[in-house]
Amino acid sequence: MNAQLENPPETAVLELPPEVVKLAIKDLNFFYGQKQALFDVSVSFAANAVTALIGPSGCGKSTLLRVLNRMYSLYPGQRAQGQVLLDGEDMLSPRVDVATLRARVGMVFQKPTPFPMSIFDNVAYGVKLYEKLSKADMAARVEDSLRRAALWDEVKDKLKESGLSLSGGQQQRLCVARGIAVKPEVLLLDEPASALDPISTARLEETIAELKRDYTIVIVTHNMGQAARLSDHTGFMYLGKLIEFGETEQLFTNPVTTRARDYITGRFG
Amino acid sequence: MDHTLKAVDLDLGSLSHAVAAMGDLAVAQVRAAVEVFVRHDLPAAEKVVHADNAVDLQDAEIERNAVRFIALRQPMADDLRRPIAAMKIAMQLERCGDLAKNIAKRVPRLDTAPSEAQAASIAELGRMASERLAAVINAYRSDDAQGAYNVWLKDTDIDERHEGVVREIVAGMAAEPDSVGDSIHLLFIAKNLERIGDHATNVAELVHYQITGTDLSNRPKL
Repeated sequence: MNAQLENPPETAVLELPPEVVKLAIKDLNFFYGQKQALFDVSVSFAANAVTALIGPSGCGKSTLLRVLNRMYSLYPGQRAQGQVLLDGEDMLSPRVDVATLRARVGMVFQKPTPFPMSIFDNVAYGVKLYEKLSKADMAARVEDSLRRAALWDEVKDKLKESGLSLSGGQQQRLCVARGIAVKPEVLLLDEPASALDPISTARLEETIAELKRDYTIVIVTHNMGQAARLSDHTGFMYLGKLIEFGETEQLFTNPVTTRARDYITGRFG
Repeated sequence: MDHTLKAVDLDLGSLSHAVAAMGDLAVAQVRAAVEVFVRHDLPAAEKVVHADNAVDLQDAEIERNAVRFIALRQPMADDLRRPIAAMKIAMQLERCGDLAKNIAKRVPRLDTAPSEAQAASIAELGRMASERLAAVINAYRSDDAQGAYNVWLKDTDIDERHEGVVREIVAGMAAEPDSVGDSIHLLFIAKNLERIGDHATNVAELVHYQITGTDLSNRPKL
């Protein structure tokens, strides 16, 4: 009587209209040496939106994230096959400069990683690598970035103090400020709140919700509630494959695939 | 597959059981109300009226447990549809209980016992209403989307019979003007049974939605 209920598909990936796509992955396979970690992944990420990647540990979501700005190229033996198209240009092409790519596609990691320098210099450091700004312009850039990261009011009177003196939640928002200071187009967040307390998490989530007005954001999270709260689209991965991708509301109210449904309802077997 | 956290399955099972039990009680109330009308049994009618309190209490308990489940378990997908459907189905069943109570309340207000023909008509309408409600509760109990759909499809049967009963009562009023007072009660009783049929249709839509996540109400009827 309901074909979908009786014969759910193995995979279901929503295709976004081309005009909303900022970043697209096509037929991506990834290898750690001989071991394949991603299998034929194809998915698009909408501009000025938050896309969450969820799935059990080892499913490949962080691996996928790290392909988007070629973090894997730091490690010998890791290789990607396929395409990562940023505004239609393949970022995996050897012609693309990795440093430039990482200025366009910024990343915030799970563990806050402030540099052992002042709060001001933490934010300014990356900018200095790519731009020559006057003192006034740099100060304005740092302030703007700290404001966008919802940290300015907490640190404006102590910019010369070490970034390491901040709390965990503040350090993470400092890393966000550092990431957006170089004016990226895409922001990748790898479990950014997993080390934070609920209050810091809420503040970081609010920051992310504000940032999507100006950036395309992809977030890997173990916290399904966070994915539900924050994201516009969600992808569920399992054993290196993208099983289901669609509007967050659809995935969390009526998932199409059995695997996605079992995962989000806590049926882990 | 069961939930890894077993308490979730226990909670959902308990909620489903409560809704099914409330459904069984509502069906029993409808049948009892029709029975006391047919037999013109005034003491039994009073018992049906008082028994509606139990239906109301079950509605409140289901709502409380559904809200608790949502707050404590943060459910998603069909786990979320279950407590929401439970609350909405309980509301429909509570209305059925009220309608059955109202039928029983009219019994002592009749000047005379119903005629054989009147009793037969109301009994038939009552049977159709209670059977629809029982069928949809069974579909709920069995997680049977097809069963719910089947109930939903036959929405017009009871409506048509209701129209026939109304014509019979109106003809009776025309033939015996002195019977107008009782006839008005009969019209209300017939209407209440038709409404119970509508509530059964609503429950069918909710059961289908709970199981499949899709909405029946806009689908064309065959």
